Amino acid sequence: MEWKSSRDAGVLDGAGRPIVGPGGVDAFAAAMRSNRLAMIVTDPDRDDNPIVFVNDAFLQLTGYAREEIVGSNCRLLQGPETDAATVSRIRAALDARTDINVDILNYRKDGSPFWNALYISPVFDEHGHLLYFFSSQADVTGRKDAEQLVYVEKERIERAVEERTAELRERTAELESALEARTALLHEVDHRVKNNLQMVSALILMQSRTIPDDGIRQSLQAMLTRIEALSTVHRRLYQSDDVSRFDVGDFVRDLVGDLAQASQVDIDTRLDLEPVSVPAESAAPIALIVNELVTNALKHAFAGRDGGLIEVKVKRGADRFRIEIRDDGAGIGAPATGSDGFGMRLIRSIARQLSAEIDWTPADPGTRVTVDMPYPAARAGAASNRS
Amino acid sequence: MNEPLKILIVEDEALLAMELESLIEENGHEVAGWATSLAEAQQVLGQVKPDIALVDIHLADGPTGVEVAEFIRGNDLAEVVFLTANPKRIPEKFDGALGVISKPYTINGITAALRYLWEGVRRPPPDTARPVGFDLVSPSQAYWI
Repeated sequence: MEWKSSRDAGVLDGAGRPIVGPGGVDAFAAAMRSNRLAMIVTDPDRDDNPIVFVNDAFLQLTGYAREEIVGSNCRLLQGPETDAATVSRIRAALDARTDINVDILNYRKDGSPFWNALYISPVFDEHGHLLYFFSSQADVTGRKDAEQLVYVEKERIERAVEERTAELRERTAELESALEARTALLHEVDHRVKNNLQMVSALILMQSRTIPDDGIRQSLQAMLTRIEALSTVHRRLYQSDDVSRFDVGDFVRDLVGDLAQASQVDIDTRLDLEPVSVPAESAAPIALIVNELVTNALKHAFAGRDGGLIEVKVKRGADRFRIEIRDDGAGIGAPATGSDGFGMRLIRSIARQLSAEIDWTPADPGTRVTVDMPYPAARAGAASNRS
Repeated sequence: MNEPLKILIVEDEALLAMELESLIEENGHEVAGWATSLAEAQQVLGQVKPDIALVDIHLADGPTGVEVAEFIRGNDLAEVVFLTANPKRIPEKFDGALGVISKPYTINGITAALRYLWEGVRRPPPDTARPVGFDLVSPSQAYWI
């Protein structure tokens, strides 16, 4: 190429002198010509900023012959897939006369595309006048492909994660609504059981009011008290978060309180209740036994007196626990079989069910009954639910 | 019974209303009326002036027991005691009601509650201990405390 002048070539030494080799050969022009990096120079003073210099590396990279490309604008390298925004950025840099470093999709003479790591920098003279644009090109198609691959993979993984997250969110919502439905059902059933127990009690109470025979009426009253023992247990249900277990002390307290507050004589109750948790299905039989024993004591121990003491203990052992019911009454001992035949049969049958041992011993004064039983295991398959 | 309580029963189950009526009368008090819904309760309350209203939460027209209680308390017509199988249904901060009797209640429980309420209304504060199955909605709300 013909430089505008040696002085104007823009390749100057530190003192502002052009660097010229021996024999007047422009050392920098020679270096550019033989450089393995593709390089071109364009002249912004000429119409459409044409290419005025290309090196051999550039010709190799693009496939053009020197005479085909010198005199053309660099847009010759652009093609159908070249990004218009990138082209705009380059144009803006040229207008602003600043450096620019971009990757742009260019095309060879044969139409094959390559990713071009393009660097353009303006060259000024010492007065700040723009002489040329210097530009280097490097084929970075391999790197771009790798980047593209990473990008595509990242997109794919992100999409997969998004889909999986959406699935999980949907599944969680389904489970939550199923749990909600089940809890609502549980409460509905609980509500009905409680109401029905109330209606059973009401039926027996209303019927017993119409019976003139004392004995029959008392039998009905005893029946009502037993049903109410079950009601007392059931009232406790769902009052704690764990619907599958009961604390024995909790319903023993309610049961004894309920029975004592109705007594004809002034009953002092003393409770010493250690926590013993039992599965829900064991609560009803235990409540029935306690109901029979406490009712029995209230009925017989204090005959002819105006007051008395009932003491109930729940004591934990290693493998078994004990319920102890003591009165300070007449010391009646074990109830005679026959006094309330059904009550005794009930006690013995339930004791067998619970593997409980029941003992009546003199307490001096009064009577002590102990119910000693193993901790009941939850029935296999029984629900262990939290509501 | 001196100065018996006049008690309104708001309960949609006829059998349970009968049972309550029987227990109220056996304990020497008076049944002021029986309503099975919000509208009926409002109508009955236009005619009688009870001391206590026993109010079930679930009535013939839905879970309107709380509205009944709000109506009663809003017009200062009576003291309210809820009867419910689901105490969690009562709004947490409902400060209008005196107490809650949980279903299923017992004969002894109702008898003791009536005695406690009579003492609370006629001879406050009550002498006897708060009965099993009778809870105060909020312990600080009992007006005799």
